[in-house]
Amino acid sequence: MDWKGQKLAEELMQYMLVGWAIAAFLAGYFRTSFQLMMLVYAGGVILTVLITVPNWPFFNRHSLKWLDPDVAAASINPVKTKAAASAAAAGKKKGSRPK
Amino acid sequence: MHSFLLRGNAVLTFALTVLAVACVLASLTDTLHSSKPEVNVEILSVDAFGRNPGGNDEVVLTLHISADLQSVFTWNTKQLFVFLAAEYESSKNVLNQISIWDSIIQSKEDAKIHRRTRNKYSFVDQGSNLRGKDFNLTLHWNIMPVTGAMFSEKRVLTGFRLPKNYM
Repeated sequence: MDWKGQKLAEELMQYMLVGWAIAAFLAGYFRTSFQLMMLVYAGGVILTVLITVPNWPFFNRHSLKWLDPDVAAASINPVKTKAAASAAAAGKKKGSRPK
Repeated sequence: MHSFLLRGNAVLTFALTVLAVACVLASLTDTLHSSKPEVNVEILSVDAFGRNPGGNDEVVLTLHISADLQSVFTWNTKQLFVFLAAEYESSKNVLNQISIWDSIIQSKEDAKIHRRTRNKYSFVDQGSNLRGKDFNLTLHWNIMPVTGAMFSEKRVLTGFRLPKNYM
C-alpha cells in the first residue's frame, strides 16, 4: 500500500468498527438480546477485516514517485556523490514496493 | 500500516477495545431498568420438628414458593440465583439466617416460579431455640450479568411461626 492507502485503511478501519459497534449495540438493546449484539458486531469485524486488511487496488492509487538515482545524487553535496549514488541505488532496490 | 500482519493486528486490537467499551455501556444500561417482582411463600405443613442427632433443633417444612421474576431480566442478564432464607433471632445471635432452598434461573421464560417442595437444605439451629420461634422467609436473588457488576435484591416475608412443641 502507498501512504495515502495506508491512511485510508486506518481511517476506514476506525470508522467501520465504531459504526458497527453502535449498530450492534442498538440492535441488541432494542431486541433485548445480548447475543444479537455480539453476532452483528462479529459480522462487522469480519467485514472490516476483509475491506481494510488485504492490499486492494484502491489502496494503491497514489503510488510513490521515487527519485531517479542520478537526480538524487546530483542534488546532494558533490563530494559525497559517489557514496550517495550507491546508497540511492540500494534504497531504490529495497523501498520501491511497500506492501 | 505497511504490512498485512500489521493491519490485521491493528484491526483486531481495535475491534476488541471497541467491544470492551460497548460492554461497559451495555452494563450501564442496567441502571435504567426497573423491575417489578412478585413474591409469595406459604408454609403448607410442618412435617417434622425435633432435635437432630447433633443435638440441634431441626425442622422440615413443605413450602409453596411462587414468584414472578420475569421483569428482573434485562438484555444483560445471564442468570438469576434465587434462594430462600429463614431469618430469626435467638438468645445467642441477634440474627440467624439459613438458606433452605435455592434455584438457578437461566432465562426469562423460566422466571415464573411455582414450586411445591420440602426445604432443599436443612433448617437447623445452633442449639434449641426454634420452639415457638417467629421467623421471616426472605427470597433473595442475585442478578448475574453478562458483563458488569452483580447486584442482589430481596423480598422479606414476615409472620411465620414454628410450633411451640416438638412433633
